[in-house]
Amino acid sequence: MFLQLVANGLVTGSVYAIAAVGVSLVYGILRLVNFAYGDMMAFGALIAYGVDGPLHQSMIVAALAGMAATAALALALDVVLWKPLRARRAGFMSLFLASIGLALVLRQALLLAAGSQPRSYRVNPYRVFVLGSVRLSEQQLIAVAAAAATIVAVGLFLTLTTVGRVLRAMADDRALAAVAGIDVGRATRVAWLISGLLAGLAGVLAALVEYSFDPNFGFQLLLPVFAAVVLGGIGSAYGALAGGLALGVAQEVSTWSGFAGGVNPVYKPVVAFAVLAVALMIRPQGFFGQARVG
Amino acid sequence: MTPLLDVQDVVRTFGAVRAVDGASFAVEERSITGLIGPNGAGKSTLFATIAGSLKPDSGRIVFAGARIDGRAAYRVARAGVVRTYQAARVLTRMTVLDNLLLASTGHPGERLTGVLLRPRAASAHERRTLERAHEMLALVRLEAHTHEYAGTLSGGQRKLLDLARVLMLEPSLVLFDEPMAGVSPALRVELLEHILAVRRDRKITFLIVEHDLDFVMQAADRVVVMNEGRVIVVGTPEEARTNEEVVDAYLGKAH
Amino acid sequence: MSILSSGSFWAFVGVVAGIYTILALGLQVQFGFAGLLNFGQVAFMAIGAYTMAILVVKEGWSTWLAAPLAVVAAAAGGLFLGLFSLRLRADYFAIVTIAFSEIVRYVATNETSLTGGSQGTIALGPIGTASQYNGQWSRFEGRVQHAFGFSSSDATMLAIVWTVAVVLLALTWLAMRTPWGRVLRAIRDDEDAAASLGKNTFAYKLQALALGAALAGIAGLFYAWEFSFFSPDDFQPLLTFFAWMILLLGGLGRVWAVPVGATVFGFIFAGTRFLNFAPFTWFASDQRAYLRLIIVGLIILLLVLVRPQGLLGNKREMVLE
Ligand SMILES: Nc1ncnc2c1ncn2[C@@H]1O[C@H](COP(=O)(O)OP(=O)(O)O)[C@@H](O)[C@H]1O
Ligand SMILES: [Mg+2]
Repeated sequence: MFLQLVANGLVTGSVYAIAAVGVSLVYGILRLVNFAYGDMMAFGALIAYGVDGPLHQSMIVAALAGMAATAALALALDVVLWKPLRARRAGFMSLFLASIGLALVLRQALLLAAGSQPRSYRVNPYRVFVLGSVRLSEQQLIAVAAAAATIVAVGLFLTLTTVGRVLRAMADDRALAAVAGIDVGRATRVAWLISGLLAGLAGVLAALVEYSFDPNFGFQLLLPVFAAVVLGGIGSAYGALAGGLALGVAQEVSTWSGFAGGVNPVYKPVVAFAVLAVALMIRPQGFFGQARVG
Repeated sequence: MTPLLDVQDVVRTFGAVRAVDGASFAVEERSITGLIGPNGAGKSTLFATIAGSLKPDSGRIVFAGARIDGRAAYRVARAGVVRTYQAARVLTRMTVLDNLLLASTGHPGERLTGVLLRPRAASAHERRTLERAHEMLALVRLEAHTHEYAGTLSGGQRKLLDLARVLMLEPSLVLFDEPMAGVSPALRVELLEHILAVRRDRKITFLIVEHDLDFVMQAADRVVVMNEGRVIVVGTPEEARTNEEVVDAYLGKAH
Repeated sequence: MSILSSGSFWAFVGVVAGIYTILALGLQVQFGFAGLLNFGQVAFMAIGAYTMAILVVKEGWSTWLAAPLAVVAAAAGGLFLGLFSLRLRADYFAIVTIAFSEIVRYVATNETSLTGGSQGTIALGPIGTASQYNGQWSRFEGRVQHAFGFSSSDATMLAIVWTVAVVLLALTWLAMRTPWGRVLRAIRDDEDAAASLGKNTFAYKLQALALGAALAGIAGLFYAWEFSFFSPDDFQPLLTFFAWMILLLGGLGRVWAVPVGATVFGFIFAGTRFLNFAPFTWFASDQRAYLRLIIVGLIILLLVLVRPQGLLGNKREMVLE
């Protein structure tokens, strides 16, 4: 039972981790806590649904389409919204509030276009794999595998490519990066591109894992994702990965009966916040991130 | 006689930078002590550490017989240690007058309970504060700007406002971080006179970081020289001026 | 179009605007004057409404005892949240406050024995009896209606809510003109500088948070009395965002901007019900509800982009940074 919970936690955590990296990357560059990220995830999941259902493409094609569309959306939003805000030197508050407005617009537009009824991809939720004492559905395995691949891909990107190193340098010290003659505009677009791809992927995976989803589901995922981001030290991509996985596992394991009888599963989201609260009390600057000075 | 302020082996780092690296010195009561050293020597960081806005990594800071290291900034200020900032931190979105009115301690009107339960005491205190504020404004020649937002002031005027605010608090120890930077020469002389008068009339001690060496030599009784986070010389202005280490570290490089 | 000329409809719009005025006034104290990015304001509204309803139905308290205690409970919620989170960076603080409001909602949804759960306050009493927490209030409202000769209970509620709102606005305005309010504004401007003037900035921020929470608690009481029952779904984060929109619309750091923002918001919200001309007629009526929220979102975006100090805000004192 305990191992099963850990496995389930890794599945949920994988989705959180992917999304958390997406949020953290953009924060590192723009200091934007993107409240619309959950709704971008829902957007990706719905696009994939359109490709998977009506168009009868394979799930992989559908997922890629969802990711591409979300990345395009992210880049378009940078042009029409975030760039003008940067131009007027908007600070954290303006950016955060704007992302709340954007979240409202996006989610309601999705509801308008797609309706509020739940949907599922054409996948078989009953195909189950048994690994020792742990049973995982095909979708859950896919989520974990995709997360692992993403971890490797993002890690390689950040360490091996020039743009990746630039992104990390900017997350560490934006002023310094600007002085060092870095093309901030290009780095920003790359950050949005990756963040959008990850949002689409996380949306599709979340929809697969949860089996049924509607346009509201992204918002429900948002706060645990934020918790993962903060846990990992906002702006740190690796921290976000670790934070997402840790949070997913903590949420599931908290329901284990061997743990003081177990927390009622309806309180899983609350567990995420409790972990966050404790973590922030111990380390107000986040768990894995560097203390920022000045 | 025990000193008013005793800084003992204070260390403060920022990541790998050892901004203050084991600084020790003492400031005597009612003295004017100059703290000099090249840029990056750690003077501003040391000020922040004494004032409580930064916590020291190690070391002790004793003020009037009590340890103040690690205390919250507002408690250090209330104990009578008030600092100014190198780039004056006036409240730019408040009027010049409001900036000064904030510089009062024990104001009953600044507590909700005081506002509700002791409205007379609060308004009496407010009247006194207002009078003092106008006096200070006259002193630093900012009367014409009384009702303007402090954000509209020039850099030099902000310094003056900061100065007025600090003097109004009547602290026992003032930490001035480059008070004369950006202040016109004519006003410098007056401010120097005022500082000397304040020291004479009230029991105020000054620790002053200042690049204007003429000012330091004129005003200071003692000079503390810092370099690379450490105190390298403590002595009279004359001793500091002629010390070889100082000439190397400071005068040699800065001029 | 008949509903447009219906007095009771407009009275309802006015009541809602009044309740939002009080809710957003709390945000004005917290953000407009103290610079605190509270995104969990709806939680304190919920605490106020639920505390009152539970005390009246389950404990049999008088409404006139339960209501003040509910406001105290909301303020205590603000103190609790503040003790935990006020030392955090602004961005973490914002996230933690939303999380707090969602925790409150989860607890209200799932602690059925305490709150009636997802069914709402109808299920507060024993099974089979629809519980009522606003009997005493209705009688009071009736007496006010009789005494002042109001034409309907809607008009009476409108008068009561706005009387309370105006009193609270006046008190807040006065509080901000005291030396206490001056310190609050100083903290908003530069917290470190305020601390080096000897101000205990943490204590002031805590007070601002708790007072704003108390105002939200009062808004919660009126919300409860206006609608004969309520459920945890009424306290979605969306409500907090509405309050933020009102704050931005009216203007930051100006007490009297709040009712202006709330009234404009009320008209936008009510007015968009009447978008029954093309292209809006292409949408079914439930879809028009989505459109309405899109408009709210667009207004937030527009304000942040074009007029960050709000319609009546004083740009030199407070802008959204
Ligand atoms: N907030 C900070 N973060 C990182 N480094 C800092 C910070 N403040 C000061 N430093 C570093 O500490 C050293 C001392 O700086 P400072 O105290 O400002 O010197 P001074 O006032 O003598 O010119 C410098 O190397 C400076 O770059
Ligand atoms: Mg300095």
